[in-house]
Amino acid sequence: MKMRVASHLAIALALGAFALPASAQMTFKEAPALATQVRENRLPAVAERIGQEPEVVTPREGVGRYGGQLRFGLRGSSDHNNILRMVGNMGLVRWDPEYTKVIPNVAKSFEVSPDGKVFTFHLRRGMKWSDGKPFTADDVMFNMQDIVLAGALSPTPPRYQSADGTPMTVEKLDDVTVRMSFSTPYGDFLAELASPLGQHPVLYARHYCSQFMPKFNPNVQALVTEARATDWQNLYMQRCGDIEIPARWGNVARPTLDPWIAREAYVGGATRVVMERNPYFWQVDTAGNQLPYVDQLVAPIAQDVESLILDAIGGRIDFQLRHLDAPANRPVLAQNRQRGGYDFFKAPTPGGTNMVINLNLTHKNPELRELFNKKDFRVALSVGMDRKEIIDTALLGEGVPWQNGPHEDHPNFHKRIATQFLEFDAKKANELLDKIGLDKRGSDGMRLLPSGRPLKFRIDVIPTVQPEHVDMLQLIERQWARIGIDMDVNALERTFFYERTSNSNDHDAAVWGGQSNWAPGDIPQQIVPVHHDSRWGIPWSFWYKSGGKQGEEPPASVKERMKLYDEARATVDPDKRRAILHKMADIAADEFEVFSVSQGLPTYGISKTNLKNTPKEIVNSWYFPTPAPALVQTFFWAN
Amino acid sequence: MTAAVLDPRAHPSADQASQWRLMWWAFRRHKLAMTGLVIVALLYLVALLAEFFAPYDPDAAVARHVYHPPQAVHFFDTAADGSWAFRPHVQGMRLSRDRFTLQTTYAPDPGQKIDVGFFVKGTPYKLWGVIEMERRFFGTVDPTQRAYLIGADRLGRDMLSRVVAGTRISMSIGLVGVGMSLVLGIILGGLSGYYGGWIDATVQRIVEFKLAMPTIPIWLGLSAALPMDWPPMARYFAITVILSLIGWTELARVVRGRFLSLRTEDFVTAARLDGCSERRTIFRHMLPSMVSHIIASVSLAIPGMILAETSLSFLGLGLLPPTISWGVLLKEAQNVRSIAQAPWLFAPGAAVCLAVLALNFLGDGLRDASDPYAQEGR
Amino acid sequence: MLLAYVVRRLFWSIPFFFAVSLVAFALIEAPPGDYMTTFAATLAQSGDIVDQERLDALRERYGLDQPFVVQYWKWISGVVRGDFGISFEWQQPVSDLIWERMALSVILAAATLLFTWAIAFPIGIYSAVRKYSIGDYFFSALGFIGLSLPNFLLGLVLMYIAVVHFGSDVSGLFSAEYQQAPWSWGKVVDLGQHLLIPVVILGTSATASLIRIMRANLLDELYKPYVTTARAKGLSEWRLLVKYPVRLALNPFVSTIGWAFPQLVSGSVIISYVLSLPTAGPLLLQALLAQDMFLAGAFILLLCALSIIGMLVSDILLAVIDPRIRYR
Repeated sequence: MKMRVASHLAIALALGAFALPASAQMTFKEAPALATQVRENRLPAVAERIGQEPEVVTPREGVGRYGGQLRFGLRGSSDHNNILRMVGNMGLVRWDPEYTKVIPNVAKSFEVSPDGKVFTFHLRRGMKWSDGKPFTADDVMFNMQDIVLAGALSPTPPRYQSADGTPMTVEKLDDVTVRMSFSTPYGDFLAELASPLGQHPVLYARHYCSQFMPKFNPNVQALVTEARATDWQNLYMQRCGDIEIPARWGNVARPTLDPWIAREAYVGGATRVVMERNPYFWQVDTAGNQLPYVDQLVAPIAQDVESLILDAIGGRIDFQLRHLDAPANRPVLAQNRQRGGYDFFKAPTPGGTNMVINLNLTHKNPELRELFNKKDFRVALSVGMDRKEIIDTALLGEGVPWQNGPHEDHPNFHKRIATQFLEFDAKKANELLDKIGLDKRGSDGMRLLPSGRPLKFRIDVIPTVQPEHVDMLQLIERQWARIGIDMDVNALERTFFYERTSNSNDHDAAVWGGQSNWAPGDIPQQIVPVHHDSRWGIPWSFWYKSGGKQGEEPPASVKERMKLYDEARATVDPDKRRAILHKMADIAADEFEVFSVSQGLPTYGISKTNLKNTPKEIVNSWYFPTPAPALVQTFFWAN
Repeated sequence: MTAAVLDPRAHPSADQASQWRLMWWAFRRHKLAMTGLVIVALLYLVALLAEFFAPYDPDAAVARHVYHPPQAVHFFDTAADGSWAFRPHVQGMRLSRDRFTLQTTYAPDPGQKIDVGFFVKGTPYKLWGVIEMERRFFGTVDPTQRAYLIGADRLGRDMLSRVVAGTRISMSIGLVGVGMSLVLGIILGGLSGYYGGWIDATVQRIVEFKLAMPTIPIWLGLSAALPMDWPPMARYFAITVILSLIGWTELARVVRGRFLSLRTEDFVTAARLDGCSERRTIFRHMLPSMVSHIIASVSLAIPGMILAETSLSFLGLGLLPPTISWGVLLKEAQNVRSIAQAPWLFAPGAAVCLAVLALNFLGDGLRDASDPYAQEGR
Repeated sequence: MLLAYVVRRLFWSIPFFFAVSLVAFALIEAPPGDYMTTFAATLAQSGDIVDQERLDALRERYGLDQPFVVQYWKWISGVVRGDFGISFEWQQPVSDLIWERMALSVILAAATLLFTWAIAFPIGIYSAVRKYSIGDYFFSALGFIGLSLPNFLLGLVLMYIAVVHFGSDVSGLFSAEYQQAPWSWGKVVDLGQHLLIPVVILGTSATASLIRIMRANLLDELYKPYVTTARAKGLSEWRLLVKYPVRLALNPFVSTIGWAFPQLVSGSVIISYVLSLPTAGPLLLQALLAQDMFLAGAFILLLCALSIIGMLVSDILLAVIDPRIRYR
């Protein structure tokens, strides 16, 4: 595929006049169950429910029919984001299905000022929350002023609340227009709003959620006591949730803007989650049918991934990508396609590589630190790996030797950073290692540090996130042993891994997936250490994030990249932005701080054969987030 | 009773035989127990000489042999002219992989006959990490070739070698763990049951305390509290201690129950009246009369430890790869694709099964043999 | 006399309960980090920014920054008032989450116990009486094989066979139509059908040891002089067996009744996880791994309470059943 990820901003700028009310002359239709309710006067008419300016969506294959349920598998703990991926992140804007541009969503349209500082959003007139109450600019003001900017409760402040440390300002221009302004240009803003973490401006319904705040409800304590909550913040989380916590799907009474609303909630100990169509959903298809087509989303909860696979094989899952997409599951899923009545759809990675190895260049031990900071050492390790063997063994033969760089079809493709030092060459590796003072060997054949102590380091890895990482590392361990490098694989539970590698900086080295390093909206953490996933220079990232107050001052070349990164974030023009990214990539390629094994593998999801409007191919990324931009609300059952 | 065939008293030297000799004679008659003994002895031999018995380095991965199915050994080779010769070999296989489904299939490679044999020269290794050796119990005549009697895993590692390597860890965990819990259990249970009174009360509270705590949280709490950067050996030892901490109370409670009943038996009173010291009463008179019960409990406790280790591994809290134990191997096999595509990965399960069966029959036979009343009853 | 004993034991249970709860709380606290560390890891994994100051603020709100003793005191004084605290992960009061799951766990454990005993007693007696017969070997081997198969493996394989060869779903405890339905006869039957596989899996691992213990105990008794005497007096083999040896052989058995039950509840965690049963197990496991400590603590406390009651029952039974054990 060409141009998987293109410049989102140029198009965004051109979108000023997008979404003329194409719905003006339409007559609207609705699901039979809703029509019955309208006849019985239990629900207002459909035209009233969807407002004057519903979004008209063009389904991928064609206009569908109403009815049926869509089943997907959930896990019992921390799988709230899987619900989000299916229901969709109904933010002001979203990504188009190709992941190339940001398009309007809850907002009817938007404008960006030429200097990239002011963003104006036009909301849809007459749009309603799922309980039928109007959705207006006041809701956005509540979300931004009273929650986000006030820091009232969110444990996860969105990173876009300011571009440079000065908080953004939010103004209501009229009932359907809001303006957000930054003190400096903020080129990344729309991309971040389109990501699943960018839903804050329209997350909470003011009329419902404000009752749980003392600012709006002086008697909130009574509610707290009644709900046996610890305090009002806890009560608020219980009732309204937050973007990144399961409680978001834990209250059936919470009004939302989503195509489906919770009927059986995702709470501790639930055995399934059922979501039911939102009668006030604000999207229609080209024939005027209110979406979604499918009546219900039903998600049985399994504790073990294996029982999800069995569910898929047994035909009890209709559409699923997450949890099943490991390449290792593909043979068994392929074998049972007939039985389960499903077929695969392809979900390639947005570029990048499936495992980045980060030596800790800020190691607490000065001797290892000095060694890790020698480029020749890193080059030796890179060419000391037989990537072909690793791919054939641990990656089931899929994959292309690759460094941490975007793929050829990526607009940001940079040849050197992607393909240097890939050739397996044990002789060269040995020469390089001998040259940098590691020429002495111990009795076991392993190299000694210049001080005479054995050279030994461990690579930290989480065995559960990408199970193939441990296999790959075990092979690398043996390959490196042949060039006299003593590396141990250190498998850690997720929490300990973060604590060690992203916080206390106690690790020698660590690995992390690099599939989305080059995805729009994500941070290029492997070419500039500005993020907790930049495990090659955590203290440097602290320094960056704290504006030089904490952490450790990085070397000049890193500092230069940090400056470029700030520039890129602020740059609105996509070509200029790419030029800056390439400048950063040039420096990173010269320094060669991190190295990788293979291109990110394409993953495959399953979709029932008679489920229509499903994507044939869709990028797999959390920032997208797959499959939401394919609009699950347009999926329908053929018969 | 039906199986009483030989009366040990009919044995010519029965009068002079010690109690242990009598037990051995009785034990020998128990066919299943003898089989159990032989298997257990073999298992511990394999555990002891794991490097020698493993055909290959258990960590050696071969890319072209991922999920290699088991190969049968053919003993005779037929030449083109119809003549045949004794030549143990396996049929070489060639891997092909579907580019889309990633399914691996192996087809026989007619030209390839891989000779195998006993005591072959394999890749060099160090026995117990010390003694340099090359000979292996079984393997391919050409060390660069590979034969898979029970298949290969997802990385093309020889399952037989891995199961053999796992034998060392798993069998020793059982033994060491039970040893520790046995000592604790007998001392505390014995004290408690024999003396009664406040000692009993104290020990009972300790036992109850431990029993009141559900197992899984203890495992989780303790294993999660183990420092993550401990080397594999330290971790192995810590896990064994954790496992034995769980086992001892059962023994203690059983021992105490028996002591309480025995305390009032005539022969104990007699011993006491005879002026036997406390120690002598306990160790000379009371303990032997409970040996049967203790052995029955132990014979079930060792397999219990082995199984507990697999459970801990399943939860991801026990031993971790690259350490190889049966539990670690089973954890690796615990998925749908192994059942569907590579059922031979469950071989460690068969090993667990064999060990547990053998240990149980062994314990059973020991128990029967050590029972003095059983002999008189015949 | 017996009454005094029972009262004394009951009285003892109270401080004992607090001691157990203290250790349980310490166990939950033992792993490094706290829920906020887990939370931060979850956030970080999906690329969210983890703001250390906010996490510290949350710690303060939840009291996670306080010394152990203070945290314990706050927790246990709440528990005494029936307030188990809130679950951090789900942001709900713990008491909303635990009771139904505990009840299903107890049902599962009770069904398993009945199943095991129904099988183990007759076989145990048969094996002892017909020592070394074909039947003895057969049942012993069967029991041992059941014992030696790791539960998780058996669970997955049975699930696979059910799906691939019978096209049915054996995970969970209720079919879809009964999940939210109120209790009815149909729901009970449905539960019974779903209980079968977990009960058999759990049961297979427990029966073997019960058979062996029963057999061993009975064999010990069978060759004692009093049995010979009774036989000499012409008592029928059956009455002879039931009158004393079987009763006495039950002694060590009874001493295990009380805690076998809570251990079964805790032992079902793994199989519940594999089969996705809505019992206490999986939630407890999750809570422990996520360090959602009040949720984990509530489960552990309830399990401990079950054990304490169980031990009480078994001590009393022991005193009743075995006349040789006398209490002053």
